Amino acid sequence: MNLFAADARAFLAAARKELRQQRRYPTLFLGLFFWPVLLPASWVLMGHAYSGNDPQALAAFAERAGSTNVAVFVFVGYAMYMWLSSLLWGAGTALRQEQLRGSLEAVFVTPASRLVPLFGPGVAVLLPMGIIFLVIFATLWLFFGVVPPLGAIAQSAVVVALGIPSLYAIGALFAASVLRFGEVGPIVQLIRGMFVLACGITFPVAMLPVWAQVWAWLMPPTYIVDDMRRVLLRGASLGDVAPDIAIVLALAGVTALVAVAVFRYLETSARRSGMLGRF
Amino acid sequence: MTAAPAVETRNLVKTFERGRRTVWQRIRREPDRRDRFRAVDGIDLVVQPGEIFGLLGPNGAGKTTTMKMLATLLIPTSGTIRVLGIDPLARPREVRARLGAMLSGERSLYWKLTGRENLEYFAALYHVPPRETKARIERSLRAVNLSERADDYVERYSTGMRQRLALARALLPDPPLIVLDEPTVGLDPQASRDLRDRVRELRSQGKTVLLTTHYMEEADQLCDRVAIIDHGRIVALDTPAALKRTIRAEEVVHLEIGVQGDDAGVLERLGRSATVARHERRNGTLAVTAHCASARDFVPAAFDAARSTGTTIRHVEVVPVTLEDVFLALTGRALRE
Repeated sequence: MNLFAADARAFLAAARKELRQQRRYPTLFLGLFFWPVLLPASWVLMGHAYSGNDPQALAAFAERAGSTNVAVFVFVGYAMYMWLSSLLWGAGTALRQEQLRGSLEAVFVTPASRLVPLFGPGVAVLLPMGIIFLVIFATLWLFFGVVPPLGAIAQSAVVVALGIPSLYAIGALFAASVLRFGEVGPIVQLIRGMFVLACGITFPVAMLPVWAQVWAWLMPPTYIVDDMRRVLLRGASLGDVAPDIAIVLALAGVTALVAVAVFRYLETSARRSGMLGRF
Repeated sequence: MTAAPAVETRNLVKTFERGRRTVWQRIRREPDRRDRFRAVDGIDLVVQPGEIFGLLGPNGAGKTTTMKMLATLLIPTSGTIRVLGIDPLARPREVRARLGAMLSGERSLYWKLTGRENLEYFAALYHVPPRETKARIERSLRAVNLSERADDYVERYSTGMRQRLALARALLPDPPLIVLDEPTVGLDPQASRDLRDRVRELRSQGKTVLLTTHYMEEADQLCDRVAIIDHGRIVALDTPAALKRTIRAEEVVHLEIGVQGDDAGVLERLGRSATVARHERRNGTLAVTAHCASARDFVPAAFDAARSTGTTIRHVEVVPVTLEDVFLALTGRALRE
């Protein structure tokens, strides 16, 4: 077994270990069924309350958002938010748990690549995220009567799949900082809040000041959520969103490289200061 | 051809900062005024293949820091290390692949997984080939007598069982060198004996074991050679028997003497017939540890000394020489102080 294959196996084992631990707390999965309904539904209802279903108001919304379908717009935004939130918390929390538990040193004393504890736990997030996407589509169908065409759903799934590396890399970047700062919860909350504001989760990016829009378009979630909406609401094809996907993949590569470099630097620093064993 | 030492260090030093530097101080670029202390202060060590080597010392002596540098978890400030002939700074993954480590004991396990699930995960991290994984896990579990409880959650294990599982994990890669940091800390006497038996079996399989402990009995009973470490330095290194011979005493006598006034007189008289290794006065009682050639000769002399100085011997205890006495003779302090 060569080194790459051995590390790939270790990587899957890390994801499996996380999933096994999650499974031992079944109530954790309850949230997957009500948050994707309650959170976006409250925004959709608020949107309807503001517009009063006035055609003029809806037209104004369509001008900025590209569609009058507030429900799909907001639910897709929230799918993105929950996914991002899970990844931002997931990888960092897993590493932090290892640190608090005392198992981080046991992992670091094995010959497995350091990328295993950095990226492995993030894989475990994919299963709950799959459930969240299913719940969101079920809610749109059952409560708002929206059933996007099967082709559009399949294409948006491809957009999501191609967006995974970039969100993964963002999660890994924050996970790396656990090695230096230990508790990174408040930083994750701040960054998550900034993503909500900048990436068009509940409103179109066009509503932001121009300088903020420039920043927004440097963030992969902005592209992913916009492309999902274009595919689901405006009938765009994968070919139409391909340039965006290329940008997202490029940003993913850059972010992943930064995450690995930061992780390596902080790991060396932690091995100098003894921070690996502290919390 | 002679085999390379399992572990070799030369003038190994690890310095840490004590105290903290505030964010404000960093922003203002104030000079770093933190104290720097040497947790490990120039350790030279050669551990031969196939031996059980102990680092014995009180808490904070630098044992764990030394162990972590060998296990690639800490980068030394200076000095050189070779683990199985490999430089862990230059080739850390190669060292990790050949090293079984039990460092944080029961805390290093996943309590919500079963024992077997823990080992499955670590087998993958240790790059155990998939075809061998099952057999390797079974063998490790058998080696620590945990086969019957392998499918229970670790949270349902006793502390001793968790320590044994941590040892089983260290055995997974079938390493030639195993490092154990305080392997029996927190265990009851039976569990400690059990774990020591497992460690002895490792030696019989030709493995090298390097362990840290602050239990003198453990070092005495288990180790082929012991390095006594204090304030980051090795103060003595030899077999337990040879170390005990260095204090030139056959027996140790603990006395409790009731003293009203000055205790210098009685100490001076006791010192004529034994070496007073340690004395401490508390609430009118002078506790004395004396190293002597024969308690049969020294105890009557001690009673004479007490009588002639107007003091009273309240308690006498004669014990054989232990590594604790060696540590006391070398540092003037007890291991547990």
